[in-house]
Amino acid sequence: MEQKPPKAAQRFFKLYCKKNRYEELEGDLQELFYDNLEHYGPNKAKWLYVWDVLRCFQPYAWKNTQNNSTIIMFNNYYKTSYRSLMKNPLSSFINLFGLSMAIGICVLVYGFGKWYKTIDQHHTNKKVVFLSTFVANRDGADQKFGMAPAPLGEAIQSDFDQIKRVCRLEDKSVVVKFEDNVFHEQVRLVDPSFLDMFTFPLVIGNPGSLRDPNSIILSQEMAIKYFGHENPMGEEVLIKFDEKEGKAFKVTGVVEKFPDASAIEFDCLINFENIKLARPELNLNDWAQFIKATLIEVNDPKEVLAIKEGMDKYMDFQNKADKDWAISAFDFESIETLYENAGQIRNHITYGGYESNHKSTIILSIIACFMLALACFNYINIAIVTAAKRLKEIAVRKAIGANKQLVVVQFLTENMLVTSIALLIGFLLGSQVFIPGFEQLNHFKMGFNILDPNLFLFLGAVLLFTGLASGLYPAFYISRFHIVSIFKGQIRFGKNNMITKVILGFQLVLSCITIVCAVMFTLNSNYLINRSWGYQPNGALYIKVHNQHAYEQMKAAMSSNPNVGSIAGSVQHIGKNHGNAIVKKGTKVYEVNEIKANAAYKEVLDLKLMEGRFFIENSTADRNSIVVNRKFVENTKVGNPIGAVYKIDSMDYQIVGVVEDFHMYSFFSNIEPTIFRLAQDHEVLHLSLKVTGGKEMEVYRNLQTQWATLYPEIPFQGGHQDGVWGNYFEEIGNHAVFWNVIAMIAVVLAGLGLYGLITLNVSGRVKEFSIRKLLGAKSSNLANNIVRQYVVLFVLALGVGGPLSYFLIDFFFNSVYTYHVPMSLYSVLFAVLLLVVVLVATVLSQVRKTNKSNVVEGLRTE
Amino acid sequence: MSRDNIGEFEELVLLTVGVLYDDAYAVAITKEISEQSGRAVNVSAVHKSLYRLENKGMLKSRMGDPESKRGGKRKRLFNITPIGKKTLDESIELRNSLRNKIPDLAFKWDFI
Repeated sequence: MEQKPPKAAQRFFKLYCKKNRYEELEGDLQELFYDNLEHYGPNKAKWLYVWDVLRCFQPYAWKNTQNNSTIIMFNNYYKTSYRSLMKNPLSSFINLFGLSMAIGICVLVYGFGKWYKTIDQHHTNKKVVFLSTFVANRDGADQKFGMAPAPLGEAIQSDFDQIKRVCRLEDKSVVVKFEDNVFHEQVRLVDPSFLDMFTFPLVIGNPGSLRDPNSIILSQEMAIKYFGHENPMGEEVLIKFDEKEGKAFKVTGVVEKFPDASAIEFDCLINFENIKLARPELNLNDWAQFIKATLIEVNDPKEVLAIKEGMDKYMDFQNKADKDWAISAFDFESIETLYENAGQIRNHITYGGYESNHKSTIILSIIACFMLALACFNYINIAIVTAAKRLKEIAVRKAIGANKQLVVVQFLTENMLVTSIALLIGFLLGSQVFIPGFEQLNHFKMGFNILDPNLFLFLGAVLLFTGLASGLYPAFYISRFHIVSIFKGQIRFGKNNMITKVILGFQLVLSCITIVCAVMFTLNSNYLINRSWGYQPNGALYIKVHNQHAYEQMKAAMSSNPNVGSIAGSVQHIGKNHGNAIVKKGTKVYEVNEIKANAAYKEVLDLKLMEGRFFIENSTADRNSIVVNRKFVENTKVGNPIGAVYKIDSMDYQIVGVVEDFHMYSFFSNIEPTIFRLAQDHEVLHLSLKVTGGKEMEVYRNLQTQWATLYPEIPFQGGHQDGVWGNYFEEIGNHAVFWNVIAMIAVVLAGLGLYGLITLNVSGRVKEFSIRKLLGAKSSNLANNIVRQYVVLFVLALGVGGPLSYFLIDFFFNSVYTYHVPMSLYSVLFAVLLLVVVLVATVLSQVRKTNKSNVVEGLRTE
Repeated sequence: MSRDNIGEFEELVLLTVGVLYDDAYAVAITKEISEQSGRAVNVSAVHKSLYRLENKGMLKSRMGDPESKRGGKRKRLFNITPIGKKTLDESIELRNSLRNKIPDLAFKWDFI
């Protein structure tokens, strides 16, 4: 086969080489190539050819740049673009503002998406470390759990060769004491392999020190909390697992601050052997008992399949030990995918939230698209209308030989210039304003890194997309005109351009949707604040007590306070926690929430009784009574609830009362079927009391001081009942703030677009209006004339946008909130009115301008 | 007339053009210099010198005939002009006169 020099290099050579030297130079290069072909063979010859082409890239071979028309042309394009930008500062501002806003939101979307996609991805072994999970039937449906039977870890370690490391894990709420600092903390008990499996680098200390059951490794946050900026190494902290069991631990390490994108975090780590102290009742050989998690590390992710198949025998052990809670399958979830799938697993070790983050990303992306669309539409409209003023320029260009493509290129260059500036501003806006604002609103850090190379790829894509989306249509539209008809003045447009109107219509619909959204979110946050909880949290205080003695002492201390009404004790407490109970009737089994409380609980929280009665104090008969909520009655479909008998733990219980539904937690969670059982005094863990006469603060302080004198060693845990939802209301309020900001931007964008369009329209018709004025037209007449063009459009756009936004937002609310304000027509009406006001205001301002202007000046233009 | 200085490599190219007489084109010159001086010479360096020398009027050129081994392209053949000869002579003369002025003592080294 005949060998030829590489085509690409040849083409490149032809591209840069001067015409009059091309023949000789190319000839020389080819001669050398064929020479080399004989000496060295085809491959080397080709390489040498490429090399020669590159070496010849020198001034003597270059095309003469001074006469290079392409460069001159682009210089000229740049100049005209710059001039036309400066000539229409208003429309340039509108374009820049809109595009930068939209790009800023795109940057936010990128930052957020990147953040939640990289959660827990910093662990080097994420692909080979797996959390053991199991499937069990609960509430009639198979569910996945992240816990593990207590003996599992030891068993699989010895049974499978493929398993490199095993780590058992348990969390325990404890009291940690160092000198005067006493706090409640979560201590994490782990096997020493924990720090090998996960990537948690230590600031100081040695990960191996965890082998010593007396050492403790702290998170940086906790180290600072207890020791400030002093070196904690070697210090001893006292951990009290309960009132009796306490043990001193020596600090042997501090873990570096967790990355912003992490969902597996802890306060402090101690050796798993301490489980004997933390959970004395736990028998590590009992398959019916569970620990929080068991993790394994393998050499190759594929080996997990083989391990999974070998898990059947453990299932037998477990099923024999606990028939009620029979496991139907074991499974493993890698750390890489754990966060993503955490929504399907109950009781796992990561913070959940993947789904809601995923949802938020989608919503944010939609918003970004909305904004981009609005900004691009503005650009298109304004470009088309301004083109009317630049027709002569285009015609002249065409007359001196620019073809259609060149005009397209010119307008795209102009548009790229605008988009690039907008990109720069948008990037600053996004990284300096939107992201910090969003982080502050939602209380998290997304670890946004401006130097992320993917971000630049993303921005490049945004630039290209925005540039083309906004510039392509105007460029083609403008380049289409014939020279002759332009010079003859036959081209008329801008007034009745269909596309301009359709685009404006779209903008109106989009802004209508965002405005309705903002209004509804604001209404919703008000609605939720006023929504009934099903009981009366105002005036109720609660405090956590550690045993009966504490309960009785506190009760005695508080009952002497004249501002305290009833005092109740309970095991669980509404808003804080609840228990679970399996309730059986015949063959039917229900899993319900359970609260064990004594008789006064109803008084304190003001639960509304629907039927029957609440418990009677110290009644032994009531030990086998339950009070249920309305949801329970609905779910179990028991016809006459009072007197119905259910089995719990093979004991019979009779329903004596039904209370109205109440919200156990915030409005984000559903109301679940719930039962009350009578609490024995020795079980009580919460004391709650009703304050009379609006003296909550006073009583609360009294509560704190009483506690501090009685139990200086134990931190006070209590609060106002209406504070149990923490930042729930703040969060709801933040939603409203966020949407208000978005809607404001949308309205401003659409308003500016409208304003720009009408202004240009009016300024293009100065002559016409002047003649009208001369002939005696009143300002109302002129206004009428301007408005008429937009009336049909407005009616159509709002006719579509109103109902559309109604249904979209309704759908949106149903998917985000469990309980929300019903959709109101007023919000749609408000949006429509707002947009109409914007239109009227714009038209009026233009009419005023026309009125003030001198008729003669107007007639003289052009 | 202002004196045009030429560099060492340019002088080498000028000389080789003379040596090759009627077949002096870039590839041949490159090969000749490589052979005679034993150093690796790149064709683009030769091109650069040839064009510069032509601009200075020391070389003149004409196009040759198309050749198949050059992909049907013609080659540019170079000849020395009188100016070129003069520059060459002056340069060599200068060297010789300077060389002759070096006292013998300068070449007397002590071999101890």
